[in-house]
Amino acid sequence: MRVLLVEDTEGLGEAVRDQIAEDGHAVDWVQTLSFAEVSVQTTAYDLILLDLILPDGHGFGFLRKLRTAGNKAPVIILTARDQVFNRIEGLNAGADDYLVKPFDLSELSARVAAVARRYRGNPNPLIRVGDLEVDLGDHRISRNGQPVELTAREWALFEGFIQRPGMLLSRSQLEDRLYAFGAEIESNTIEVYVSRLRKKLGRDAIVTIRGMGYRLDTHDQ
Amino acid sequence: MTNRTSLQKRLSVGLTLGVTLLWLLGVTASGLVAQHEMNEVFDSALQETAQRILPLAVTDILNRETGTGNQTAPALKDHDEYLTYLVRDEKGNLLLQSHDADPDVFGKLPEEGFSDTPTHRIYGAAAVSDTLYIEVAEPLAHRRKSALEAGLALLMPLIILIPISLMGVWWMVRLSLREVVEFRQSIETRGVGDLSPVERGRLPAEFEPIAVAVNRLLERLHRALETERSFTANSAHELRTPLATALAKVQRLKTQVQSDQLKSNVAEVEGALRSLSLLTGKLLELAKAEGGGATSQTPHNLVPILTMIVGDFESQVPGRIVLNVPESEVNSLLDPDAFAILLRNLIENALKHGSRKQPVEVTMSDDGSLRVSNGGSIVPPDQLVLLRNRFARSKTDAAGSGLGLAIADAIATGAGMTLHLRSPATGRQEGFEAELDVART
Repeated sequence: MRVLLVEDTEGLGEAVRDQIAEDGHAVDWVQTLSFAEVSVQTTAYDLILLDLILPDGHGFGFLRKLRTAGNKAPVIILTARDQVFNRIEGLNAGADDYLVKPFDLSELSARVAAVARRYRGNPNPLIRVGDLEVDLGDHRISRNGQPVELTAREWALFEGFIQRPGMLLSRSQLEDRLYAFGAEIESNTIEVYVSRLRKKLGRDAIVTIRGMGYRLDTHDQ
Repeated sequence: MTNRTSLQKRLSVGLTLGVTLLWLLGVTASGLVAQHEMNEVFDSALQETAQRILPLAVTDILNRETGTGNQTAPALKDHDEYLTYLVRDEKGNLLLQSHDADPDVFGKLPEEGFSDTPTHRIYGAAAVSDTLYIEVAEPLAHRRKSALEAGLALLMPLIILIPISLMGVWWMVRLSLREVVEFRQSIETRGVGDLSPVERGRLPAEFEPIAVAVNRLLERLHRALETERSFTANSAHELRTPLATALAKVQRLKTQVQSDQLKSNVAEVEGALRSLSLLTGKLLELAKAEGGGATSQTPHNLVPILTMIVGDFESQVPGRIVLNVPESEVNSLLDPDAFAILLRNLIENALKHGSRKQPVEVTMSDDGSLRVSNGGSIVPPDQLVLLRNRFARSKTDAAGSGLGLAIADAIATGAGMTLHLRSPATGRQEGFEAELDVART
């Protein structure tokens, strides 16, 4: 997933960023709301982790603007404010979950996975696409019962397909998923990663739609 | 409510009694003056009568052919004779008397001027060189009767005037104090957490300063509570953020170190940080619980909050909690945040110390009774009474801060409610139960 982390506390932001990245997600970390607003305008995020008390404003205002603009990315609020009315206000403003500091990073990882699953309309972390069995929680894939190992970038790309099985993804949408890893995007980068995925998941797992993009084949091979 | 005398009642009764007493004093004084004036009139009539009859009587006596001797003056018509008279010589020999006159009423010898006997008022006058006397007598009973009738004539209106006066005073006092009574009622009927200014209306000038002082006090109290709440919330934020940073950093470090010894040391630091976080959280909750923020100014439906808090636990301990909530709203002046803290502590307590083989039952009835019960061994009565104390723990192996029930009890007390702790739980042979009525504030 492409995740936007909005957190102004340096040490906590670093730790959360590293944890989410280690879970296999691409993380953009900003420390102010103004940077967050620019980020959501230029990038389609799959999840936003939002602190409430930030140097240039309150997270609720950002969240309301986000929802008013029609952005449906799931939002998890990370805050030291534990009052019930804050939590209710956050959920009413459009947040999907609310995590009070201090929290365990493992708890955060679990919440991130749960919210992502909920948004994909499949609360079950185990899904089956064609001959692939995918554990979204643990980032594990097996093909015909045999485990398949993916690198973080390969997983990021594959996750884009698995979120929209059978649907067309453009080259720029796929490139966007890799940018957050700081990868140098060459003209053939997507082809290289698609080729790697095909080797691991099957030659026909990803179908090329010439001149338009790629889609995940959902039929048994 | 107190059993002190009502100002309205005191004023009404006092004013009515005062007016009645003044009326009675006035009537008595008027009666005495009237009696005095009537006596003067009666005396004048007595004197005039004597002086008018005397010449006629003298002429009559001197013209008698038979000489001296008593004669009774005949009445022209039958009538009550209030004034009787005797005509006597200087030795007291009776010469003439009115037809109803009783000589025994008069003295043995005639006298000039006014004199009194026990029963009569007498006036005497003399003629013919003080050889003939006339004495006119009037019964004192007649005068008393006249005075009594005059007094009654003055008193009679009071029988009507006193009740009218009572009703008038009562109505006037009631009308004057109506704004004061409304002011009192607006204070009495407001909720315990309502610190909004009291509506002053058109209070009498004498009570206006009281209303101003009450509203100033409420405003100060409101500001103090808000400052306290804000301080607690800010303190929570300022304490939790560095703790969160330290815990997250340590957890990241744990994933990076290779050495088992170092990993173990980092795990110990992580454990200490968790304990510190837990204790900090509990102390902040206790500060809020004891800080007077247990009630809110407006009622809130607590059912959604109850469902939300139990939902939080459900994700941590799936299937351990059995929740029963009413379909109707349960509105309470208990502060939602305070309720969440109270409930969280009661459930944490039940989960930690209750039997893991039995569910924790969280039940709220539609009349506002909240009960959190768990299975497990019975808590002896001597330990049960100590559980509300800070850092007090029952004999248990379960880890805990020892503050949970103290926090819950402080919130309940702050909201004017009573937290009941029972062991065994209601309807069970064992276990523990905490119960309170959240609608009663």
